Amino acid sequence: MDLMRSLLLKIYWETRWPVLLFSLGLAIVMGLLTALLPRVLGDIHLVFEKLPFVKPLITALLGVDPGKQLSAAMSQAFLWVHPTVLSLVWAHEVMYCTRLPASEIDRGTVDFLLGLPVSRWQLFIAETIGWIISGLIIITSGFLGHWLVEQIVKTKMQPSWNATIYVMLNLIAVYFAVGAFAFLVSAFSDRRNRAIGIVFAVLLFSFLINFLAQFWNPMNGLNPPEQKSPLAVLRRSADQNSSSENGSPSSTAQDAADSKDVASKKWSIAALSVMHYYRPASVIQTGKFPAVDVSILLAIGFVCWISAGVYFSRRSICTV
Amino acid sequence: MDSARADLSIIVTKDLGHQYGRRRGISNVSVEISDGQIYGFLGPNGAGKTTTIRILLGFLKPQNGSASIFGKDCWSESRAIKQGIGYVAGDVRLYPWLTMRRGLKLLQNLRIEDLSEAGLSLCERFNLDPDLPVRKMSRGNRQKVALSLALAHKPKLIILDEPTSGLDPVMQLTLMDILRDAVKQGSTVLFSSHSLSEVETLCSHVLMIRQGEIVVDENLIALQAKSPRVACLKLDIGHNIDCTDLPESVKSIQRQQSTIEMLIEGPAQDFLRWAARQPLADVSISPPSLDRLFRDYYLEDELT
Repeated sequence: MDLMRSLLLKIYWETRWPVLLFSLGLAIVMGLLTALLPRVLGDIHLVFEKLPFVKPLITALLGVDPGKQLSAAMSQAFLWVHPTVLSLVWAHEVMYCTRLPASEIDRGTVDFLLGLPVSRWQLFIAETIGWIISGLIIITSGFLGHWLVEQIVKTKMQPSWNATIYVMLNLIAVYFAVGAFAFLVSAFSDRRNRAIGIVFAVLLFSFLINFLAQFWNPMNGLNPPEQKSPLAVLRRSADQNSSSENGSPSSTAQDAADSKDVASKKWSIAALSVMHYYRPASVIQTGKFPAVDVSILLAIGFVCWISAGVYFSRRSICTV
Repeated sequence: MDSARADLSIIVTKDLGHQYGRRRGISNVSVEISDGQIYGFLGPNGAGKTTTIRILLGFLKPQNGSASIFGKDCWSESRAIKQGIGYVAGDVRLYPWLTMRRGLKLLQNLRIEDLSEAGLSLCERFNLDPDLPVRKMSRGNRQKVALSLALAHKPKLIILDEPTSGLDPVMQLTLMDILRDAVKQGSTVLFSSHSLSEVETLCSHVLMIRQGEIVVDENLIALQAKSPRVACLKLDIGHNIDCTDLPESVKSIQRQQSTIEMLIEGPAQDFLRWAARQPLADVSISPPSLDRLFRDYYLEDELT
């Protein structure tokens, strides 16, 4: 216990300021989004009517069709997938998880660290504990920022405590998977910048693949039937516009064709993206815990974390 | 290897080898380091000193051979070994937030003993402010922090990789005094350096590594006896020396007018007898110096 306390004390001395800054940053961003999003999204139906391509973009971001009008509760889903929010969470964990061993080797402090009477697994576990705690602090701070502003502005964005907790758990699972992957890259690397670059590139690819897959039917096979693809949404809104002009219903046949198309495919490239398993809108809509998504994320994270630990404990480390 | 001797040894390596891809590391390094001595670990830059030390500390996994400290394997039992070791790396890099006091607090929990008294006493000897963070320190002061933290728990084995590189001459002497005191209290020191004078002043045993292989592993006194000396002979005007019966210990001769410089290896008695028969106005012989011996090794290394 003394040993672990000592290692955690070292981590605290090193990471307290970044964690504090990221926590404050996320609280402020989520507070601002809570205040601003209902105003922006309140009139979204007007935007949908004038600019039909906006709806598929929001559908792609949320992972579900938001309908004609975004409810206040659905606005909260938008809050949890906002690129600024995700960027802050990921930036913190990518920076944190590339500390050991990449940053230690890069800075040359690994000589001091490995000279201490601790095993590499103990170092790795201490880093993991610090990472999980700091992640919980940052995500909770973000939520507190949102909640406080919600209490002041009364936007009714908060759907239910259960759904909020499920969304946060889903985000923590994403945090675990991404961080564990960053640990894995770091375990193989001697240069922190290189490790950060690789992880960010993979994250960007993951984000884009999930986003773009919504617009590309051949990639779209795994989407559950109830989640219409943005392409279908786009087509349908175009059809609705034309049918309302012509006065003839045509969307039903198109929907049936879409459903058949979706059901016939077994695999989607979007399943390779970590974002595919993070769908706050779906959680808020259904009110159900996304057990499968969370399990997949935890499994990915666990495999990466174990691999990182095993490789770090067995590799030769040299700063020369 | 004699098992009885190996039992008494603090460090035992056998045919140790490690390569960095195509780059040379070390090969077939076999040494035994006995208790209670100061070992000088000499070698030019890139000879393999740091690689050997990194294997001993469990940073690098040996590709060939084995290494053990206190009878424990350096790779698989590294954690247990490091409880009894104080180590300072060659190019000391410490955390910017670290102060001597924080470092002691950190180590106290890891080593499960109160280190504050010994640590602060070392601070005093090194003339170091215990509350100054590393980010505000000069290179020499960082070196002192690393040394103080490495020595505070009175380790059984002290491994120092070129520890004097950032220290001023006065602090170098202080460090040598501290190491001598540590040996008196039962510690063993492995002192890596490329400074011959440092090793001659401090160490009782010398290991020399060249191109990744140990080429010298001897007691300092025995090594000094083998070391060449320079004899400077001044001839009487108009006379010359008789070179027909030169002793075997004379390895080379250089003549400049009436002054002759001779390089002598081994015992000097034969040479003195021969010199007594020569028409000399004056003679002087330098004390045995490792300098020339090692210069020969270094030169050979550069040539190859």
